[in-house]
Amino acid sequence: MKEDIEQTLKESIARQKMLAVEEISLDSSLEELGVTSLDAISLVFDIEDQYGVEVPNEELKKLHTVRDIVEGVDQLLTARA
Amino acid sequence: MMAPVAITGLGCISALGNSVTENWAALTNGSSAIRPLSGFEETDLKVASAAQVQNFSPEAYFPPARLGLLDRHSRFALVAAREAVENAGLEAAHLVASAAIIGTGCGGKETDEVTYQKLYQAQKSRVHPFTIPRGMPSAASSQVSMELGIQGPCFTLSSACASSNHAVAQAVLMIRSGMVDVAIAGGADAPFTYGLLKSWEALRVLSPDTCRPFSADRKGLVLGEGAGMVILESLDHARRRGAVIHALISGIGMSADASHITDPSPGGAARAMRAALDDAALAPEDVTYINAHGTGTRQNDPSETAAIREVFGDQADKLLVSSTKSLHGHALGAAGAIELIATARALAEGVIPPTANFTSPGKNCDLNYVPNEPLERKCEHALSNSFAFGGLNAVLAVSRFPQ
Repeated sequence: MKEDIEQTLKESIARQKMLAVEEISLDSSLEELGVTSLDAISLVFDIEDQYGVEVPNEELKKLHTVRDIVEGVDQLLTARA
Repeated sequence: MMAPVAITGLGCISALGNSVTENWAALTNGSSAIRPLSGFEETDLKVASAAQVQNFSPEAYFPPARLGLLDRHSRFALVAAREAVENAGLEAAHLVASAAIIGTGCGGKETDEVTYQKLYQAQKSRVHPFTIPRGMPSAASSQVSMELGIQGPCFTLSSACASSNHAVAQAVLMIRSGMVDVAIAGGADAPFTYGLLKSWEALRVLSPDTCRPFSADRKGLVLGEGAGMVILESLDHARRRGAVIHALISGIGMSADASHITDPSPGGAARAMRAALDDAALAPEDVTYINAHGTGTRQNDPSETAAIREVFGDQADKLLVSSTKSLHGHALGAAGAIELIATARALAEGVIPPTANFTSPGKNCDLNYVPNEPLERKCEHALSNSFAFGGLNAVLAVSRFPQ
């Protein structure tokens, strides 16, 4: 599941920032990818829609890397299961 | 007389075409862009005809990530703004301290409707995070300022179908006052959404076939969409940088009917035209051409004719009066700018675009409406009329610039 989330997220970022998926790693920081706070909200929205979860507002500011988002969403899914 | 303001750049997208060149070619061919409404075949809409922008692929103009933030009317605004800036030969340094004043009647209603459809119809619990920045009425002004690096006064102005003319008037005032040397002004609208079309339908002013301004068998207006933008500069500034001057805005006139929310009053329209003439220090006999508001509704056309007669008296019979809405439809908040561009081109080229679809003159419609065929005529001065629902009127006096 984690790999799915990672792939979905990387593809979203790649589309949004006009990058190649290969340029994005789990430890890429959102900042260095040029992901602004509005971009991040939009990325999280897409993932929320796809996986049927809701990332609480207070969690949003803790998201600094691609890994943070992947693990956060995975935890929400695990908690729900 | 106030110092005239130079028009040094033109940008336009409408049902007639996606550039000024395409628009002008269609205007002078007299080939109307009114077609059967497309894109709503699966709905219960009765709206039959429309003047919709054709062959417009947003992806050709904007990267995918940016499109998410752009309502259809903002896309039109940016396309026209880019063309106007390029046409004016302005560089980034000229734009920093300039102004952007953009009119819109509807703003981001497309975005709002998608949102409401999700919430109320599809029963979704969440909406897209870009809903506010994409749909806010001022979105197009913000997008234009960001793309062009305009850091002076920027805002959106709304007066329904007179929005563009009020925006141009506001920009002219800023230039005259010395607040800015350069401004981009105009309007953008994209009213082809299910909810808006239903609302227009309910008002019973839409024509079931085509738009025939001033004709006896006219049946109403036909909605259009798009954007028009002009670059305005103080004459000094334009001359200093050696800009090509398309025409001059020699006067502006604004008024309100203060009478009825939909029915126009000739008195209000006449006051705006007279104010524009006075502001330009023009006498009625100086004016050759009027680009009429000319919506093709029962109410507008005789009322506008009466207003022209009131202002021009005996001179009215010598005027050429055409409504280019018969060609590009009624683009609401964008209409004034699209028509200002038509007027500026008409003065520069010495060709008057016709009133298309004209059959025979309507009752109390007894001026020369330039029926169906363009007319070659050198003109020094023209008026471009916009009279909005709610009685908000704005008229621009436009003068030929001797090349």
